[in-house]
Amino acid sequence: MAQNENPLYEQQPTAAATVLTVEKDGDTVARAQNDGHAVTKRLHKELMFLMTSPDKSISAFPDGENLFKWIGTISGPQDSVYESLKFKLSFHFPNSYPYTAPVVKFITPCFHPNIDTSGNICLDILKDKWSALYDVRTILLSIQALLGEPNVDSPLNALAAMKWTKKEEYKKLVMSTYNQA
Amino acid sequence: MQDSKRFWALAQQIFPILNDTVCQQQETEVLKTDFEQLCNFMQENLLQDTFQQLVMNKIEKRLRQEVVPEFWSHFEQSENKGLKQFYNAVKALYDNYQQLEKVIGKLIAFAKFAKVSQIPYQEKSLQNALKLSLKATLLGQLHVDYQTVTMNFYEIALKMEDSDENSSDAMCIGCAQESSNCNCLHLFQETNRKLGKMFLLEPLIGQTLTNLSYNYIHNHIQKICKDNYDSFIASLEKWLHSVVIVWLKKIYYFDASISLDQSMEMFEKKLVNYLYNSYTKIRIDQLFNIVIEYPESLPALEDIRLCLPRTDLKQLLTKKCQKAMETRLLHPGVSTTDILTAYVATIRSLRVLDPTGLLLETVTYPIHQYLRSREDTVRCVVSSLTEEGPNDLAEELNRGEAVDENAPVNEGDEHWETWTPDPIDAVSSSKKASKDSTINHRTADIISMLVNIYGSKELFVNEYRTLLADRLLSQYNCDTEKEIRYLELLKLRFGDSHLHFCEVMLKDIGDSKRINQRIKEDSDYSEDEIPLSTMIVSQQFWPPFKDEKLELHHQVLKQMKQFTEGFETLKGSRTLCWKNHLGIVNIEIELNDRTLNLSVSPVQATIMMHFQDKGTWELEELSKTMQCPATILRRKIGFWLSHGILTETKLDVFSVQEVKENKNSAPEDFYVEDFESESAMASAQDQKEEELQNIWSYIIGMLMNLDSLGLERIHHMLKIFAFQGPTTTECSQSELKSFLDRKVRERQLIYSNGLYKLPK
Repeated sequence: MAQNENPLYEQQPTAAATVLTVEKDGDTVARAQNDGHAVTKRLHKELMFLMTSPDKSISAFPDGENLFKWIGTISGPQDSVYESLKFKLSFHFPNSYPYTAPVVKFITPCFHPNIDTSGNICLDILKDKWSALYDVRTILLSIQALLGEPNVDSPLNALAAMKWTKKEEYKKLVMSTYNQA
Repeated sequence: MQDSKRFWALAQQIFPILNDTVCQQQETEVLKTDFEQLCNFMQENLLQDTFQQLVMNKIEKRLRQEVVPEFWSHFEQSENKGLKQFYNAVKALYDNYQQLEKVIGKLIAFAKFAKVSQIPYQEKSLQNALKLSLKATLLGQLHVDYQTVTMNFYEIALKMEDSDENSSDAMCIGCAQESSNCNCLHLFQETNRKLGKMFLLEPLIGQTLTNLSYNYIHNHIQKICKDNYDSFIASLEKWLHSVVIVWLKKIYYFDASISLDQSMEMFEKKLVNYLYNSYTKIRIDQLFNIVIEYPESLPALEDIRLCLPRTDLKQLLTKKCQKAMETRLLHPGVSTTDILTAYVATIRSLRVLDPTGLLLETVTYPIHQYLRSREDTVRCVVSSLTEEGPNDLAEELNRGEAVDENAPVNEGDEHWETWTPDPIDAVSSSKKASKDSTINHRTADIISMLVNIYGSKELFVNEYRTLLADRLLSQYNCDTEKEIRYLELLKLRFGDSHLHFCEVMLKDIGDSKRINQRIKEDSDYSEDEIPLSTMIVSQQFWPPFKDEKLELHHQVLKQMKQFTEGFETLKGSRTLCWKNHLGIVNIEIELNDRTLNLSVSPVQATIMMHFQDKGTWELEELSKTMQCPATILRRKIGFWLSHGILTETKLDVFSVQEVKENKNSAPEDFYVEDFESESAMASAQDQKEEELQNIWSYIIGMLMNLDSLGLERIHHMLKIFAFQGPTTTECSQSELKSFLDRKVRERQLIYSNGLYKLPK
């Protein structure tokens, strides 16, 4: 008795994705528009992967029937001022995903040097450093990490950047912003 | 004054009833002149109306106080039962009546002469007035036993009528005399004649006759319908006319108040209606047996079909049938196969009753509910679908012609003129199913109906897959051609896409044989000690196997490694993942005094091979070598103990028994086959549980991000996002609800205001 297995099976999708990113930008966009089905398939796969992963501090799920709009949840990283707080984020996937980054915003108000008052996030992997290898999970993990270690040099929220070093005051501001929700 | 006295005496002489007596002796001849004088006197004094009234009152008084009580007094006598009792009563009544009629005769003559214009009670004649008051008085003083007495009387008469046809020389039932010198029939006719004359036939015994006929009809039907499912409508109607109606005609022939045709017409309508009603009721009571006996009971079903529109008993039929199903079929004592057989019979027989399927839908609703609650239903359906031998479902499958559910429903457009709405009673059950499925349901064939119980094909296809896998793996020389035939038939029914997996499985079997052959032909591959034959299955397409850990003997492992290498060269970039615990091993055991040929499971073979290397093993040690839990290993060793090949010398120490102790017990060389009857597949229960666990993680994800959701929303979202793979069966909303409720009980969910959410 034996089972016929393809040892490459697991790695296949990622390998294909890597190959595709090498292509020129214009080319990829055209390609992505041609098969919207591939995008939904990828999103389905990501969802399944996310659902079966044991990490409870991050999570995301499509908002309603539209697979291109998701809502994510992250818990604040441990040993940071954001510990035990839960933040909701919105994901908006373009048709050219994963060749273009999704638009990610905070729904829950968050006092943070790299997050502005309307929830926009300044994070390099969501802008110029985006790669098709990233997925919802890595985005969530990156944002979670960003909460604990802000980039004070290029702030969106100058007040937060200023207060970052004064822990007590900073924490108070974080809590008051969080409680606005 | 003198005149008055004289005429009063004269009046008393002519109408003795004025003295409250009826002349018993010979009537004294009334002089015509006296009579005329009286008339003239009355007319002169304008007393004629009053006088007539007076006489009538006296007659009525007599009826009230003497005639009627006397008649009823006959009913109190305990002796002289039977025909005589009623006959005597009627005879006495008739005698009295005749006397009174004479008085009335005189009164009529008086009225004619004295020109009395009024007749009491607005009757046509004084005779009729007399009959009316007699009837009124009789009914006003009804006796308690009257019903029983009349009933007895006519029952005997009816029996006589009945036995006349059967045997002519038997004893008379009425008087226990020989028929030849019995005058019962005469008595009977005489009674009827007298009653008829008095216009009392219908008022006094009409109800009795009706009841009697009803009973008679009912008993007759019951007698002939018992355990007999032939068609009886025609013969019953003939019987009604030739026996019951004829008998009634004999009685009503004497009824003078109404013409025979008129009375019989009414009676006949009543009786025919009753006949149909009671026949249908009796058949409905038997319906469960009729259904089970289908198709032998087809004539009876046809009868019911004809009767239903005439009787308005559809409601009763539905109720009784459901009740019968519940008490006789839908309880734990009945095996699922039997329920399915009955269900198929029900479908077929109710189709006869109602081709539109409405009735069927209503009646079988409880069966659906119940079958859904049984765990082995799907398995039973699937296994009987593919079973060999005479079997309703297999036949149905072979007949083919699946209903194409995707065919456009165009009946609405083409036959809109003849369209009729569903009857009201159908609504209650069809409301539950969506409109779309109702249409499918009604027109679908039997297999589709069975599949529809669960609402999805996936469940059935999955069960079939498991069953097929089991069969393919347990019968190593499996007849794939037969399986392919079944698969093709099922494909017609369920569609290609659903059965793609099974196709691959069957292909795997053929491929395995070929690959085995190819590898063995290869010069690099050599089989020295252990010939190996491999079944290569595609993991993606087969249902999950039950997992057991087992380390095989190193000799086998060596051979397997060689085979794997052969396979890898043959197939490039693919490798084999061995399922050590599945399969079958043919072994020959040579001991000092005997040789055994056995087909055993890999575990048992491995045990033997280890004992080949070393005569004695401790359980713990062997368990470690084989990586098999000691408890399971002990059970497996039990097999060898029972064959007398191993013995337990000390606790947990086993050794080979080279010489059998008592030789007379078993033949020296025998062949035993040992298949473990357990299924190689993970059980459906396990699979379901795993799926639900999978769903649960989706639900957590959903609720964590979207806060709180209702049941419907969750189900909808799962449908979109979670039920994607071909292996996941769809989970119905009610199933989901019970799952979520379980989670609520386990405090993993909070349910409030119809919304589920995660606890904080």
